[in-house]
Amino acid sequence: MNDKNQIPSDEELTAYIDGELSDTEVSRIEALLGSNERAAARLQFLSLSGLPFQQAFEPLLAAAPKATLDAMVDVAPADVKPAPARSSRRGFLGALAACLVAGIVADRAFIGIRNRVHAPDEGSEWRAVVAEYIALYTTDTVAGPSPSGEAQIAQLARLNDKLGLSLSPEALALSGIEFKRAQLLQYDEKPLAQIAYLDPETGPLALCIVRSDVGMKEPDVEGRHGMNVVYWSNATHAFMLIGRIPIDRMQEFAEDVRRRV
Amino acid sequence: MPVAYTTFPAYSRTKPKPSVQPAALEGKPVAEALISSEADIRTGLADNLLRLWRYGLVLSHRRDIADDLVQQTCVRALERVEQFETGTRLDRWLFSILHSIWLNEIRSQRVRLGQGFVDAGEALVVDGARDTETRVMANQVLRLVNALPDAQRAAVFLAYVEGLSYKEVASVLDIPIGTVMSRLAAARAKIAASVSGEGAT
Repeated sequence: MNDKNQIPSDEELTAYIDGELSDTEVSRIEALLGSNERAAARLQFLSLSGLPFQQAFEPLLAAAPKATLDAMVDVAPADVKPAPARSSRRGFLGALAACLVAGIVADRAFIGIRNRVHAPDEGSEWRAVVAEYIALYTTDTVAGPSPSGEAQIAQLARLNDKLGLSLSPEALALSGIEFKRAQLLQYDEKPLAQIAYLDPETGPLALCIVRSDVGMKEPDVEGRHGMNVVYWSNATHAFMLIGRIPIDRMQEFAEDVRRRV
Repeated sequence: MPVAYTTFPAYSRTKPKPSVQPAALEGKPVAEALISSEADIRTGLADNLLRLWRYGLVLSHRRDIADDLVQQTCVRALERVEQFETGTRLDRWLFSILHSIWLNEIRSQRVRLGQGFVDAGEALVVDGARDTETRVMANQVLRLVNALPDAQRAAVFLAYVEGLSYKEVASVLDIPIGTVMSRLAAARAKIAASVSGEGAT
């Protein structure tokens, strides 16, 4: 900054406005502002952003659900370590159930998965995340009457549109298992199709689909969170069928779906 | 050595940090320090819930996620009582916990309902029976802030709404101070351009 004509950077001017510069820097900036019209104009421009931020955001405090939040402090256990999702910690589970209704994945630490900051392994990462999500489903999650054929078509239309699929109720029908809903979820901000079923014996079952360019892959099986997973992919999409149904029956279902989708 | 941390003095360099070695947890003095500190964390949480929720809302644009963020922040803070450095600001610590949950666990890789975030303008609109002029002004400011990219929005909120210093913002967001400066400068330039473009004052 030896050049007298050099105007200060926006960072410097912003720090000047915010009172974050040392005395020395303030003197230097003020000298520049006094001698350089462009610097002064830039400062004036940046100062336009000096809005009443605190007042504007203040009403949001009143919008907070105070009673709900207060209850969280009392419920939050300090001495109980993260436990499997089906423990009996009713208070926390109640909150978890609320999260599920809102379509939110539960606390990662709670489930025991560490933060992952690296690019996901294309093949398995999404299945791990989806499995965590589905692991929290209970029969209640997919309770309620099954949608009519028309409603199914309407639900599937949205998925087809977002994921470039051509799913139909017929192609997705599984014998002895009730189709409960088809909904669009997000995985890493990308669309994720989820078709949820209810098996009267073992509970929820889900077929999940994402776009994938991994390429054709024959069905394979794995276990995640105490559930069975059959996964495969075609040229455009990756599929996973996940549930607590015995693996051989899961594979049959997967084969049926794979043939028809 | 029972230590009652009923206040959080701004600076207290001489105060030793509680030891966190697992082996030491059996030791009585440390255990007692942890217990009294936990009560303080609980109190601190209770005092800051609304601000935490507001930050969650600013980050996520969703009330349900803001609820969830506060919930997880409570759990995490109470699990990590021993990591809180007495003598530092508890609210800043809670903000950083919430931010890290948002960044690492919710925003980055979460499966959620697919309608996506509601429009930022909708999410944070202030309504109610306040006087109209104030409301219009407030909503205009909210709209401008919400139009900022996520990283800039968080920095602006912490610095200009919550009044954190650059150093504190850097600590909450876990980024260098230089990055805080560039985010705030970019945000100011953007907001200034919007304001001047609209012909507003």
